[in-house]
Amino acid sequence: MGKSLKAAVIGTGVISKQHLSFLDSSDHSELVGVCDLSAAAAKYAAETFHAGQAFTDYQAMLAETKPDVVHILTPPNTHQKLVTDCLNAQAHVICEKPITPTYEDFKTLWQLAQEKNLHLIENHNYRFNEAILNIEDMVKDGTLGEVQEVEVRVALGYREAGGRFADRNLPNPVHKLPAGVVHDVITHMAYLLLRFMPEVDRVAAAWSNHGGGDLFKYDDLDAILLNGQQHARLRFTCYTKPECFTLFVRGSRGYAETDLFQPYLRTVIPRAGGEQLSPLINHFVNGWDLMGSSVKNFRNKVMQRTPYEGLHRLLDQTYAAILQNQPMPVSFEDMDKTNRLIETLLAEENRV
Amino acid sequence: MKLLVTGASGFLGKYVVAEAVRQGYAVKAVVRPATDASSLAWANHPAVELVRLDLRQGRGIAEALSNVDCVIHMAAVKGGDFYDRFAGTVLTTENLLGAMTTAAVKKLVATSTFSVYDYFTPPANRVIDEAFPIESEPEYRDAYAQTKLIQEDMMREWGDTNDATVILIRPGMIYGREALWNACHGADFGSKWLLIGPNALIPVTYVENCAEAIVLSVGSAAAAGEVINVVDDNLPTRRQFTKALVKRTENPPQVIPLPWGMMRGVSSLAWFVNQQLLQGKARLPGLLIPASLDARLKPFRYTNAKAKTTLNWTPRYTLETALDRSVSDQCLLSDMLAKAPANPTLEPVAQG
Repeated sequence: MGKSLKAAVIGTGVISKQHLSFLDSSDHSELVGVCDLSAAAAKYAAETFHAGQAFTDYQAMLAETKPDVVHILTPPNTHQKLVTDCLNAQAHVICEKPITPTYEDFKTLWQLAQEKNLHLIENHNYRFNEAILNIEDMVKDGTLGEVQEVEVRVALGYREAGGRFADRNLPNPVHKLPAGVVHDVITHMAYLLLRFMPEVDRVAAAWSNHGGGDLFKYDDLDAILLNGQQHARLRFTCYTKPECFTLFVRGSRGYAETDLFQPYLRTVIPRAGGEQLSPLINHFVNGWDLMGSSVKNFRNKVMQRTPYEGLHRLLDQTYAAILQNQPMPVSFEDMDKTNRLIETLLAEENRV
Repeated sequence: MKLLVTGASGFLGKYVVAEAVRQGYAVKAVVRPATDASSLAWANHPAVELVRLDLRQGRGIAEALSNVDCVIHMAAVKGGDFYDRFAGTVLTTENLLGAMTTAAVKKLVATSTFSVYDYFTPPANRVIDEAFPIESEPEYRDAYAQTKLIQEDMMREWGDTNDATVILIRPGMIYGREALWNACHGADFGSKWLLIGPNALIPVTYVENCAEAIVLSVGSAAAAGEVINVVDDNLPTRRQFTKALVKRTENPPQVIPLPWGMMRGVSSLAWFVNQQLLQGKARLPGLLIPASLDARLKPFRYTNAKAKTTLNWTPRYTLETALDRSVSDQCLLSDMLAKAPANPTLEPVAQG
């Protein structure tokens, strides 16, 4: 076993399982502490994922375990204070999305991280999913040509009775964020769009609360973004089925699409058969690939591999980069642009 | 004596509140803030005070416990993923116990479950009583069993630490108007009902019988600190139970009997393949996990001797009468309340 970093986790909610399972199995990390306001939850997480100690006071955990890296997995409205305290305790921070409710808050945290010479990473996990990496490769090697259009579409049943976000008894803290429940996924949507259209010069965003009521601030987003002649669309809805997280990238030579929830990769590009045979070859190749994806998705479902595959890849690269003093897989520029884009989408002057 | 009943609007809870009123207790009935109480016949009864709280957060619980002598804790979550169940069962209990310490309430009657027993290791046809072994490998059991095991541990530890009285009631499969076809007598496959192990006894208790036993435990000196299993008299076989249900169901499913040995063989084979070829990583349905299958359907015998002697309880309704009540148009809660004393007294007026 090579050199490893001491890791600690604050927050043991749903997403913690993905972080903790990585930390439990990685050679790059040693899980020294888990903290939650609930002693029972902290104890359960510590026992299940073999953490050194369970805490209910994160300051005590920072003081006693002196972690190199802290994963902050609590509700977004708590991030500002927790990230600040962890950086002041000389720990690198990996923080769940959205890192802060506003761009200004993010800049404050980034400034502190710079002053402390520490790394601050916002979780951009889907960027590291296999299908997204494949599409990035096709853009880089020119297979798709110049990117002309990008569409990121998310459909989630957040309004469904019994769901976490529809619970009126104990409203989820995400409702208080500037974009309401859309803020739960807007970071993912923004960074994916920016991978393929790095600049945006015009935005028109329609934020709606189609379902009404006072619990949800918004339940729908339809935004058009332009950069010169490049067009992009961000679409979030609670009203279509099945749930999906699709990405379309259309270039001057061809296009690629995937759904991160049921991964497949469909590419319509010039083939070796030339202009006449390419449509036919695309049909057969994509049909074959789709069948392969169906088998793979069934296998992944049985084997409990989830759309969070990119998170383990991101964390692995992050720990390796810290150990080897290499650039982070999610850079300041990535986070800065992402949070700035979210701010732009929410700005009153860009609303329709 | 005043009782605080959690989970008061739940399947069992609403009968427990009615039964507590019938036995002469004053009741603070805890329901979640958004609960529609209009169908709860006791909501406006003079002996009942409706308290709107979500136990997943600690706020307001200690205040609700003022002037309370005993808590009957039934709040739990049976749906959702592990984290929903953990929040709804473990965190609620943790918050309740903390508030009970603050409010110096020293008596707790808690509804646990038969699911905490180890059905995998002991041989079939043993008698399940209160000394039956508890599950020691919960990782192979479903989230419900896992969270209820954690909950029991917490309550015992709280009792020991606070020198308080904890009575653990473990009901078998509770049936009633809202839950007739259940996991302990087979498996639902759309229009088909797989009747697994038709000749085995089914550990059922009718909801009104169970509610009576729970409330009786409050006033029973002999029950203090005890674990008490609750099942009805003259337990039916699965075949008999199913036949009685079919007779009372308008469009019953087609019942397909399947010998226990055959189902267990299929389950063992699936488990063997998973362990040997897939390193145990495949997520199998509960019927194909022997520990889960055994917990639902392995043939055992059952006794309610301790409940009858300790609580001076005799199940009021036979299977036939209970099912007739369940499918009738009668308001069962109103029927229970009609037998209540005009005014609650400080002491119970009835003990069985």
